[in-house]
Amino acid sequence: MTRRHLVGPLVLTSFLVLVLIGISAHAQPAKAPKYGGVLVGSPLSAPPSLSPHEEATISTVQQASACFNNLVYFDPAKRQESAETLVPELAEKWSWQDNHRNLVFFLRKDVKWHDGKPFTSKDVKYTFDMVRGAKDAKGKLRVNPRKLWYANIEAIEAPDPHTVVFRLNRPQPSLLLMLAAGYSPVMPEHVPVTEFKNKCVGTGPFKFKEHRPGESVEFVKNPDYFVKGRPYLDGIKWVIIKDRSTQIAALQSGQLDVTGIGWNAANVETAKKGNARLVVMEADSGVNDNLLINFKRAPFTDARVRRALNLALDRKAYVVGPRQGAATFGGAMLPRPSGVWGLSDAEVKKLPGMGDAAKQKVEAKKVLAEAGFGPGKPLKVTVSTRALAIYVDTASWVVDQLRQVGIDATLEQIETGVWHPKMTRRDFDVALNLTGIGIDEPDANFLENFRCGSPRNYSDYCSEDIDRLIAEQSQILDRAKRLKLVHEIDRRLQADGARPILGWGKQYALLWPHVKNWVQHTNSIYNQSRMQEVWLDK
Amino acid sequence: MSVVIFFLMRLAPGDIVDILFAAAGYVNESDKQFLMKELGIDKPIWAQYIDWLRGLAVGDFGKSYRYDQSAWEIIRPLIPVTVELAALATIFSIVLGVPAGVLSAVRQDTTLDYVLRLVSLAGLSLPSFWLGMVIILGLVAWFGWIPEMTYISPRENLPGHLVQFLLPAAAVGYRSSALLMRITRSAMLEVLREDYVRTAWAKGQGSRAVVWRHALKNAILPVVTVIGIEFAFLIGGLVVTETVFNLPGVARFLVEAILWRDYPIVQNLVLFIAVVVVLSNLIVDMLYGWLDPRVRYSS
Repeated sequence: MTRRHLVGPLVLTSFLVLVLIGISAHAQPAKAPKYGGVLVGSPLSAPPSLSPHEEATISTVQQASACFNNLVYFDPAKRQESAETLVPELAEKWSWQDNHRNLVFFLRKDVKWHDGKPFTSKDVKYTFDMVRGAKDAKGKLRVNPRKLWYANIEAIEAPDPHTVVFRLNRPQPSLLLMLAAGYSPVMPEHVPVTEFKNKCVGTGPFKFKEHRPGESVEFVKNPDYFVKGRPYLDGIKWVIIKDRSTQIAALQSGQLDVTGIGWNAANVETAKKGNARLVVMEADSGVNDNLLINFKRAPFTDARVRRALNLALDRKAYVVGPRQGAATFGGAMLPRPSGVWGLSDAEVKKLPGMGDAAKQKVEAKKVLAEAGFGPGKPLKVTVSTRALAIYVDTASWVVDQLRQVGIDATLEQIETGVWHPKMTRRDFDVALNLTGIGIDEPDANFLENFRCGSPRNYSDYCSEDIDRLIAEQSQILDRAKRLKLVHEIDRRLQADGARPILGWGKQYALLWPHVKNWVQHTNSIYNQSRMQEVWLDK
Repeated sequence: MSVVIFFLMRLAPGDIVDILFAAAGYVNESDKQFLMKELGIDKPIWAQYIDWLRGLAVGDFGKSYRYDQSAWEIIRPLIPVTVELAALATIFSIVLGVPAGVLSAVRQDTTLDYVLRLVSLAGLSLPSFWLGMVIILGLVAWFGWIPEMTYISPRENLPGHLVQFLLPAAAVGYRSSALLMRITRSAMLEVLREDYVRTAWAKGQGSRAVVWRHALKNAILPVVTVIGIEFAFLIGGLVVTETVFNLPGVARFLVEAILWRDYPIVQNLVLFIAVVVVLSNLIVDMLYGWLDPRVRYSS
């Protein structure tokens, strides 16, 4: 065999050896999780309480979730939450019965509350009777932001200590997902709900240790946790750091293992510049910037005026402007691929405000002229918003965009304490608002924000036809059919300018490489904080 | 004073119930009324005021609306943090500012005087929180280290506790020291021109005795006044420094309580600050008499 003939086999052999080395390197078993260590994180803010049912902020859910369990939960390891990623927690299994009119949960028998009392079906009934505001409920929430989620429940029964039946007025497959939300933990019947202001008694992987108001919240490992071998951590400590620069410095110096909620792209860049080893996880937040247009106040009763406002707002400028690139375009439902129910890219591109900015502004002026407004008689609009930077930045941009089509817009900043009362009184022309959706589910969004008469439907948008479609989609069991109808509703909501969506903000988590199994979900920030799988490779 | 504290707070729009519902993203009138009744803010303001005074008389500071916890239990751990920080900052400012002011006056119009005046001007120009932030960012950039961001109790770890407090005290104290330096300098320049100082020099007394015993003792009154005012100011004015260094003090918590309209916390913290202002002024007045017997004799 000549040297020339040897070259081919040699190259081939070398290639195969390299491939094998590569495969073996990849085939190495994943590092075994280590036990021990305390995870130190810094949340968005101090929790108003440790009672998730009474709050609507990520601060409470993120810090309190490790103390609780739900009947079912979104698999913490799967990035996208959906009906397919539900895993059992306090319920061993569940079953839809009577043509999806009854949802039956079969509960675990080995679960104890952190104070040693046994967990039973009575606790489940107590919790959800309280949340839905049942007449015979044994507890009452001081504030009940998600009562609407459970409006379709006719009764909850506890036939034996380990079985719970949710009887529904009509089929509603989304109920399971609502029960899986971080906002829906099961609470103990024997502990008054008022005590959850400052402490927490749950069944979860971590027990409450200490709450120093405005300073820190600490949890320790629950040695009796019903999932054997979990959690890995000895504890979790949430340190409240209000100053963003200090938070960044604390992360860079290693005092924090993880932080990032509420950061913008510039904060992330600064932190990364200071320490390139930090791991950045970016995801859609499930929070959208939207415009509330008062449907009951003239001249916004005129569909042409609403359309002009919608067209005037160039969504591409919004992403690069106030959001500094950290946002995605979409309709009422979180856009794909992060979201499950969002409109397709092609459809999003057709939404008002997504086209050529110059042409849309010309069209907006034309529509305004048809409605009787022009240079001689400009439309006067007050854009109200909360006096918080994240609101004011975008609202200022809205004012500028409206002025570009000849609208005489002015900005009004409203103190947080009077913001929602003002919105509830409908005491505004146009308002820049942020809406967070607890779970990526049409029912959670449509029922709260777009149904006639809903307390959070601040625009007072009301369409009987849309209400009928919302109720119809809620009952559809076939996913593909439901998706089609959800898209139809979303398109119509955008065309009607029900609550024009400017875009969906991004969310970040920054952590050190030694934090393992921290999975940032792509379509919600609210349902991933159980922490039982997280471990520290130190 | 209590009337001003109580009623001024209630001029701000909204109350805790509005804030709670704002956080929940909706408003329900019947739930709101229920909650107002539970917290006792459905009563007329004058009735709430009397309730508060009645509580104060028996040492009951009320209950935090936000945390549903005794206001005193919440406030108690905050006070030593702020008092310690203010005291350390004041000590820092005295140790740095008074000798520098004396030196600057004694060496008037020399290079040392110019340098010290420049340093003091810088101290007055730089906001202490900005300086604090620069210290933190500098430390993390150069050493990858910053002081502990969780409060360390002196009983648990005294060295760690001191390290945690020294940097913010230095940041705040530097600004105060600049003020003290300028006041000391101008007071000393005035006194150094007095006849009795000239007489002391003529008698051949040593410079230490003339400057420190004769001149400074007579120049110190305005300095003591400023120290008293500065200390009282620091008790309620360290919001940003406490925020930047993440120290759980009075001022930072006060801002949070105001934003949440947590009246029992706000009222009692403002009352505490007012008491400190009164006490520090009282101490300053008493020091006058000790430092300058003429004040006692004239009264």
